[in-house]
Amino acid sequence: MQALQHLELSVAQRQRLVGLLAVAAILWTQNAWAHEEVGVAGGLISGLLHPVLGLDHLVAMVAVGLWGAILGQPSIWILPVTFPLVMAFGALLGVAGVPMPGVEFAIAGSALALGIAVLTQSRPPLWLAAIIVGFFAIFHGHAHGSEMPGASNSLAYGVGFVIATGLLHLSGIMIGLIVRWPAGLVTVRCCGAAIAAVGLYFIAGSSGLIT
Amino acid sequence: MKRTMLLAGIAALVFPQTASAHLVSTRFGELYSGLLHPLLALEHVVPWLGLGLLAALTRNTTSRWALASFPLAVAFGAWLGSVGPVWPVLTTVNIASFVVVGVLIIANVRLGTATLLMLTIVMGLSHGYANAAPTLGGYPLVLFVLGVALSAYLIITLVTGFGHLLATQQRWGVIAVRAAGSWIVAIGLVFGGFSILNIAA
Repeated sequence: MQALQHLELSVAQRQRLVGLLAVAAILWTQNAWAHEEVGVAGGLISGLLHPVLGLDHLVAMVAVGLWGAILGQPSIWILPVTFPLVMAFGALLGVAGVPMPGVEFAIAGSALALGIAVLTQSRPPLWLAAIIVGFFAIFHGHAHGSEMPGASNSLAYGVGFVIATGLLHLSGIMIGLIVRWPAGLVTVRCCGAAIAAVGLYFIAGSSGLIT
Repeated sequence: MKRTMLLAGIAALVFPQTASAHLVSTRFGELYSGLLHPLLALEHVVPWLGLGLLAALTRNTTSRWALASFPLAVAFGAWLGSVGPVWPVLTTVNIASFVVVGVLIIANVRLGTATLLMLTIVMGLSHGYANAAPTLGGYPLVLFVLGVALSAYLIITLVTGFGHLLATQQRWGVIAVRAAGSWIVAIGLVFGGFSILNIAA
């Protein structure tokens, strides 16, 4: 208070100034390091949300599950198992800064290709289906890895996007289980058409045809 | 003047400072510190979940050995870690445990008793050692080690029980467990790769 006396303010002005300083001190928040491992919650949430918030990612992941369900055993589990394993390598490439051309184009292409596979009930050999899914997984992983937030906990981020991806596959499988009924099969094929349309839209966007 | 002092007092009270809200930091009892330490670290929780699922895929008589041996190995490892030097190579062993356990789950390998017991003991010692090394510094040891072992027992027992129910009671249960194995391997690859690339976890 005495430090303010040389400003030649009235008592009311000084009190108001002190009040403002107090409010400023309240609002001037600092980090609360409430956990030993910093950034775990942020990394986990970022990782969980990353595959979900990109529509092209989301529909492609659901398409993997749908395609697996259409193909039946053993594809129903081999495709969703293949994807995260290859995706992890893609994420490492992304984090390491290894350039990969046309990532967004390939992700959109994955939605188009997998959507068409669901729509047409394509039944390639198991090894070919696994290679197709694995090929696209590299690009999805690269996008997740290269867009990892700098301040987040990397392990938590990895856990987040792997779990989110797996749960999207599971969603596709659960939806795909209705193919045992004729109306369900039509519904699933319509889902494939919608996924392909989303892929086409994003390809047009990546190519600059849509601004 | 009184109002000024009051305002300054309020400002001092609400001015936020570092909140050491973690039980390990505030030393809210060594038992709770030990109990929570592995549970709050993904590098321990994820492979422990995997070990539970792997045990769930084996015969009941085999998995029972894991339930008994894992907490004991973790406790022994935590004790060793508290009296021994920091051993950085264990981080590599712990990362490798993600991949080993996950691959065995994906392949649906039904381990024999001796193999599962060996894997359980190696993992328990390694993870237990890593749990003690960064934490203890002259604090009571027994309660902390007991807490870590209790945590290991809870995870291995609950996950093995849940995984066993899933694998035996549901037609799709084994598929779900094997898919979870691929998640564990993927997380391990990401974690290992990030460690090699020297990205802070």
